[in-house]
Amino acid sequence: MHIHLSLQSGPLYEQIEYQIRAQIFSGELRAGEALPSIRTLARELKIGVITAKRAYDDLIAEGFLYAVQGKGVFVSEKREDDLINGKTERLKEQLRAARRFALENGVSSEQFVEIFKEIMEGTDERS
Amino acid sequence: MNGLEIKDVVVDFGSFRLDAALSVPRGCVTGLVGRNGAGKSTLIKAIMRQAEIASGSILYNDTPFYGNETEVLRKIACVFDTPHFSTALKPKRVVKIVKGMYPAFDGELYDGLMKKFGLPGDKPVKTFSTGMKRKFGLILALCQKPEILLLDEPTAGIDPYDRGVVIDLIQQFMLDEGHTVLFSTHITEDLDKIADYIAFMQNGKILLSEEKESLCESYRLVQAPEISEEMKKGAIGVQKSMFGYTFLTKQKEVRGEDVLVKTPTVEEIFVHLLGEGER
Repeated sequence: MHIHLSLQSGPLYEQIEYQIRAQIFSGELRAGEALPSIRTLARELKIGVITAKRAYDDLIAEGFLYAVQGKGVFVSEKREDDLINGKTERLKEQLRAARRFALENGVSSEQFVEIFKEIMEGTDERS
Repeated sequence: MNGLEIKDVVVDFGSFRLDAALSVPRGCVTGLVGRNGAGKSTLIKAIMRQAEIASGSILYNDTPFYGNETEVLRKIACVFDTPHFSTALKPKRVVKIVKGMYPAFDGELYDGLMKKFGLPGDKPVKTFSTGMKRKFGLILALCQKPEILLLDEPTAGIDPYDRGVVIDLIQQFMLDEGHTVLFSTHITEDLDKIADYIAFMQNGKILLSEEKESLCESYRLVQAPEISEEMKKGAIGVQKSMFGYTFLTKQKEVRGEDVLVKTPTVEEIFVHLLGEGER
């Protein structure tokens, strides 16, 4: 497992979540593999314990990881629809980035949805 | 569960009055942030029972001080910004004194850490650099095997390498979930990263105390060429420069031409929130 964090690329827990997901999809992290404990992860990445916990909690809620009381956190078994999920996840990541960009540049949620619709309907391109 | 429960603690120096209430969650790192003279060091001294508390009380891992003085003082350890012993002494002499005071003192850990950081045991502490003094103080505190570690400006005045060492020692201490850290700071980015909670201090009072991520996400940092009436409502710590205005706001949506909005860092919240009304 390897994780790179940047203070300029959005919330730290999202960066961790994205990179762990990507490594599960790529097969770098295998089903059943043990991940470092929350406190070890926090120490290794020089982040807060709560940030590390939030990343694991989200990934557990999404089914990518599971926790065994007293033993630690592990990578979940791959499911049939993983490939689709993987693509969906990557797409979601791109959309989240777009949404962040929108919010940071004064584009409201309504306008964002409007723009998305225009793109889907192909009415955004002026020619 | 709280490592420290500070209930309306008043310390009155006449010219300065501390009146603080704060919960420091167990298993977490809390950063105590404020300008010089805000009362950070006084609060730490009050927790260490080195400043007279006029009223209020403090719970240490749920244990009150009175009636449990010895137990409480063994649970806590502090690294002050200047050593609390004569710096003419050599570490090997200092450690003998500290060992006498703390039966749980871990001599093996002490030897290991002194060696790891190349600190000489036979040179007077006053010959040490600031970074060496800070590391020595932290080693002494850690070897007392405390449950609650307090640090007054742990990384002030030391180089980035030593800062990394100090931060790693703090995080190593935090591997035990029964441990609690409270440190005061003027903010540096790396400390900003390891803190779970942030408490802002101003004029002897705790201004606010919150989990770090939700604190940052509750504000927006706005940069705008012009400040509209709409923006003025709820704008905090407005700063004007040649190129426009920068301010903090809790408004969800800020609109306008060429307006840049982002989630602030703790440092940015510090500057705008504590600098309010001064510019």
